[in-house]
Amino acid sequence: MTAIAPPRVGEAVLDPGGGRQSRPAGLPSTLAGWLFISPALLLFLVFILGPFVAAMALSLFEYDLLTPAEFTGLANFKALVGDELLLKALGNTFVFAFASVVTHLVGGLVLALAVNRGLNRALSYFVRTAVFFPFLISWAAVALLWRYVLDPTFGLVSHYLTRIGIDPPGWFTDPAWALPSIIGIDFWHTIGYTFLIMLAGLQTVPSEMTEAARVDGANAVQSFFFVTLPLMTPTLFFASVITFIGAFQIFDPVQIITSGGPDNSTITAVMYLYRTGFQAFQIGYASAIALVVFAVIMLVTLLQFWGSRKWVHNA
Amino acid sequence: MSHTPATTRPGTTGPGGPGTTRPGTASAAGTAAAPGRRRRLRVGRLVKSVVLLVFGVLMIAPLVWMITTSLTAPIAAFTLPPRWVPVPFSLQNFADVVDLVPIGRQALNSLVVTVISVVGSLFTASLAAYAFSRIPFRGRDPIFVLLLAALMVPTQLTIIPIFIMMRHLGLIDTLAALWIPALVNVFAIFFLRQYFNTIPRELDEAARIDGAGHLRILFQILLPLAGPALSALAILGFEASWNNYFGPLIFLSSPEKMTLPLGLVSLSAGQGGGPAVVVFAGITMVVLPILVVFLVFQRSFVESVASVGIRG
Repeated sequence: MTAIAPPRVGEAVLDPGGGRQSRPAGLPSTLAGWLFISPALLLFLVFILGPFVAAMALSLFEYDLLTPAEFTGLANFKALVGDELLLKALGNTFVFAFASVVTHLVGGLVLALAVNRGLNRALSYFVRTAVFFPFLISWAAVALLWRYVLDPTFGLVSHYLTRIGIDPPGWFTDPAWALPSIIGIDFWHTIGYTFLIMLAGLQTVPSEMTEAARVDGANAVQSFFFVTLPLMTPTLFFASVITFIGAFQIFDPVQIITSGGPDNSTITAVMYLYRTGFQAFQIGYASAIALVVFAVIMLVTLLQFWGSRKWVHNA
Repeated sequence: MSHTPATTRPGTTGPGGPGTTRPGTASAAGTAAAPGRRRRLRVGRLVKSVVLLVFGVLMIAPLVWMITTSLTAPIAAFTLPPRWVPVPFSLQNFADVVDLVPIGRQALNSLVVTVISVVGSLFTASLAAYAFSRIPFRGRDPIFVLLLAALMVPTQLTIIPIFIMMRHLGLIDTLAALWIPALVNVFAIFFLRQYFNTIPRELDEAARIDGAGHLRILFQILLPLAGPALSALAILGFEASWNNYFGPLIFLSSPEKMTLPLGLVSLSAGQGGGPAVVVFAGITMVVLPILVVFLVFQRSFVESVASVGIRG
């Protein structure tokens, strides 16, 4: 119990405008204000806003870094429409992101409920640590480790599956299994994060309410579905937005383990962007792909916010 | 609602949580429950504990296997059935890692990039957050909104122009290409500004009467009070920078310039790549320090992630 604090997000978000404004001391406040924001603002202009605008401009050019850029108008975007590999990449990325959101939300919630109360203290500490720790390891280390864990000859998983009589598939060589394998590894790596968010969310469900439901004769299942779950919807919503945004940018394990193969069965949007921009040096086309990724993430996030009015408590 | 000692099995519900009066569900039902129902609850708890224990063991099994394998002599490693005890014990694999890649140098590179990124971005963010929270100036709100909108722009979109920029500046294959763009962290500005807004303004008014200027108010009053926010941002910033793979993959190419994640991958692939057992030793060398730091600072780690909630 001691490891988790209630979420602080709520208490930090207070009074955005600030009722009273302090009077300037010394410098006129407009000058002082601009001076204080100038380092961050300059860096922001050079490394975020500038590149953002530049990426939009680059998407209208054909450019390979060596020969001068050539303006081609919307040609890159026209090419995107008929690009089957991009379609495949977006399809894979949607499958991955959807599976990621579902497995993380369900798994995280079930784990958090199980660990939240009524568990031996040492066991609770062990489970929390075991579930959370993989999240802190870099994707590079995780991907390399799992490449060996799922190795067909000396890997752990294949060996024990064979022992209990299951013939293991070629995890990364069978096009039908490669993407599910990456989904599984992603679950192992990041479930600890979702688990933690869910645990923090559970602390916001007052135990008086579930106890009151029990006193009124509700059983455990009823009190979960009619009290805990509705009060957890803001947490579930937050987790689903964040998980989707992260999952749609999946790149590291794909690049390290399969490079998008076999037969492009694991190529993702960012993997395709990397290939196009940094291996084939089609800078303009890669910029157009990046804009598509950005647009999809924005669109899905907006849709989630819009849809949240229908199912999120107090939305 | 009385909790009798009988319902609390020894070791099942340890006190010391946020609510100590919380033997919870079992005891609430316990007053009215028949003995049969109580036994069913107890069996249910036992089953749950066993399932969770198995799940926890499965989660760490790959890591345990990796560590024991890396400590096994190269000839005996990867024999089947998998070894869970490092016999014959050997540190040869770790020596091989050091021979194959400049891992010490790469650890130093990771440290340099991470420390400069985290300290630098917290510094610029503190200044900006102070202005957004405490100084009323013309143009403040539109700029703040502009910064917030930038939170949605993914790295993959900006990295192509930044790559071209770094190429013109001759900074490809240098650590500066990684840490210079990381000196600004829009999320940190936003988070700190929200935190500053919760600190009573009476404190800076009082300091101002004593003659303090903006800088002194920021560094001697607000920042010392913003400790939890700063440490949460520092921990998450450290984690993100230390584990970054995409940036180094694009900007760095020579082994002695690489950061640890990229160095690990280069250890496993291509010419001069090591066998699996050496890669395991490499990963172990990178993961063990994280494990130790995590076990020591577990509480702050967990609270930071829970309070800030951004995914690495």
